[in-house]
Amino acid sequence: MGTGRRGVVGSFAALVVMAILAAGMLPLRSHLSVATTALVLIVPVVIGVVIGGFTAGVFGVVVGFLVYDLLFIPPYYSLSVGKGENWVALGVYIAVMLLVASVVGRLETARAEARQHERAIRRLFELTDLLIEDRPLPEVLELIVSTVYEAFALRSVALVLPVETRLELVASAGAPLSDAELHEVVPAPGMPARLVGSTASERDQAHTVALSAIGRPIGLLHMWGADLTRYDQELLHTFANHMALALERAQLREQALRTELLEEVDRLQRALVGAVSHDLRTPLATIKASASTLRNTEADVALPDRELLLELIDNQTDRLDRLVTNLLDLSRVQAGALELRNQPISVSDLVTDALRGLGPASTATVTLAIGEDLPLVDVDHLLIGQVLANLLDNAARYAPPQTAITVSACLRDDGLVLMAVEDHGPGVPRLERTNVFRMFNRSGTSGGTGVGLSIAKAFVEAHDQQIWVEDVPGGGARFCFTLPTAAVPVVVA
Amino acid sequence: MANVLAVDDDQALLRVLRIGLSALGHTVVVASTGEQGISQAAIGAPDIIVLDLGLPDIDGMEVCRRIRQWSNVPIIVLSADGTEDRKIASLDGGADDYMTKPFGMGELEARLRVALRHRASELGEEESKDLTVGPLELDLVHHEARLEGRPVELTTREFALLVFLARHAGKICTHRMILEHVWGPHYGSETQYLRVYVYRLRRKLGDEKGELLRTNPGVGYQLVDEDAP
Repeated sequence: MGTGRRGVVGSFAALVVMAILAAGMLPLRSHLSVATTALVLIVPVVIGVVIGGFTAGVFGVVVGFLVYDLLFIPPYYSLSVGKGENWVALGVYIAVMLLVASVVGRLETARAEARQHERAIRRLFELTDLLIEDRPLPEVLELIVSTVYEAFALRSVALVLPVETRLELVASAGAPLSDAELHEVVPAPGMPARLVGSTASERDQAHTVALSAIGRPIGLLHMWGADLTRYDQELLHTFANHMALALERAQLREQALRTELLEEVDRLQRALVGAVSHDLRTPLATIKASASTLRNTEADVALPDRELLLELIDNQTDRLDRLVTNLLDLSRVQAGALELRNQPISVSDLVTDALRGLGPASTATVTLAIGEDLPLVDVDHLLIGQVLANLLDNAARYAPPQTAITVSACLRDDGLVLMAVEDHGPGVPRLERTNVFRMFNRSGTSGGTGVGLSIAKAFVEAHDQQIWVEDVPGGGARFCFTLPTAAVPVVVA
Repeated sequence: MANVLAVDDDQALLRVLRIGLSALGHTVVVASTGEQGISQAAIGAPDIIVLDLGLPDIDGMEVCRRIRQWSNVPIIVLSADGTEDRKIASLDGGADDYMTKPFGMGELEARLRVALRHRASELGEEESKDLTVGPLELDLVHHEARLEGRPVELTTREFALLVFLARHAGKICTHRMILEHVWGPHYGSETQYLRVYVYRLRRKLGDEKGELLRTNPGVGYQLVDEDAP
């Protein structure tokens, strides 16, 4: 420890100064009075006390006594003190020296204590500053224990909070706690927790501060290995309030976040149920109405109309199937089980596949604008096919019937292929542009899939590419996304 | 047969409705947006409107409210989300009936017929002093009710409640509608009154199972018209 080393240094300094002064005075000792010598020999003792504290002072006194008696009080080189007046001088020397050592020593201790307090206060103020910042709960816990640990030079610090129905050690600093100490602060069910003073811990003093905010108990701060002064304890209790408030705030914030999260999950679930039920029922409505019309013996359905009804049943069944595929894909995305199977494929093959999947009724109004000499793209063609299908489905839903839907592709300067699906529907308002890709977003009341666009986004982003929506001049929406090109094969001449 | 206006944003369903209802002898006009629906309702003067609630431009309920501002044409609401509050709101907003997708064409046709007949009887009802619903006869002048010819003792409020339901026989009346008309405009949420009165009425009518005075859980009550499905 610092004080021990200081003692040694102080004693050594006293010894050296003593030796120098004694050596200087030795040739003159017959001319010097006993009192003068004593006065000079005060100097090394005071130096020892100032540097090394009370213990160094006492050491200086002992050495001073020996030097004074042996070298300067006749008969020399013997402990005997000849004349009676020399006794008085020696006695006064020792008494004064001890007094000086004790006074200076106490001053030194007080100064060291003040310095320690100052450090503690500074650390605690720093802590208050840190606590005002909005930090997550685990960080707040760590800050509190480490600051208290350093500020009071403790052996160990532990913070105990009530978790559900029992106390739990949530943060600690310094030396690891012994089992006995652990049992003390986190008692077994039915056992009282330690609140004040030391019980089992015999190695050193233990101290506990209760943290409470606005009358509500927050937790307990346990400390070991420090001789806390009354002043320290007052300081600790003052700052305990700050810590409690900060803890409470962090806890409330976490609680609020959790509630928000639960609400969001709840909203998503309700949206999912709504969207799924809406999207399943829409094609089902056509299938059911068609089938019941066909079965109705009273209904007089012309032959071409019968054909049309059968075709509708067929189409809508495909639509249902696509929806179910989308929902399964969605669950794969959510489960993080999406695996890309990339392979080079031409853009026109991708588009042709997607259109084939949509069936003849929907492809009637689709026009293609695929740039010539496009490089192959390196994608999972099933996923990108689904992206195209969903975008086409979305365009068909929002565009007025018989208006053109355009699928285009071109090579951008940055080497990516830009694909776009363009319709002449109402378009997407600027504010809605990020929202349309959100899961189960259903613009207005039109009851779109709510799933298709978010799946498109997830699949495009799985390729590390981007998807966005912009305006078509003259009205309409253009959904764009980029695709990576396959590595260009080396052309062999 | 009737002129039907079908308003839905789903092209496939519109085609089925056109084919199916035409095959049953109705004339069908279709609209795929709310605005189109409203203008068709004004221009074409349909006998009845089949209206989907989920339209791309205006909410179906708003379409219903706007049409109600000038027309009493029966409106049957279609909805795909099947939530109770949308049903109640659409009935309160002036719809005559609601159906949840998917539905059979036969059921839709039956509901169309009920709504049309109901509206027809409403038109001829102004001077009528008697109401007859199935086995139930109500003498509005003498405030007397008879079930299969036998007189039934009813309090004034019970009689008023029964008259309201009988006037809208076959139609689902929401709690709010009944309370506002029978109890007064300041009522609307006191469904417990209704439960008590309906319970008493059913006992007096020997209808403990609620076959005549049917409960639509969470929505309202309906006096069953025997011809209705």
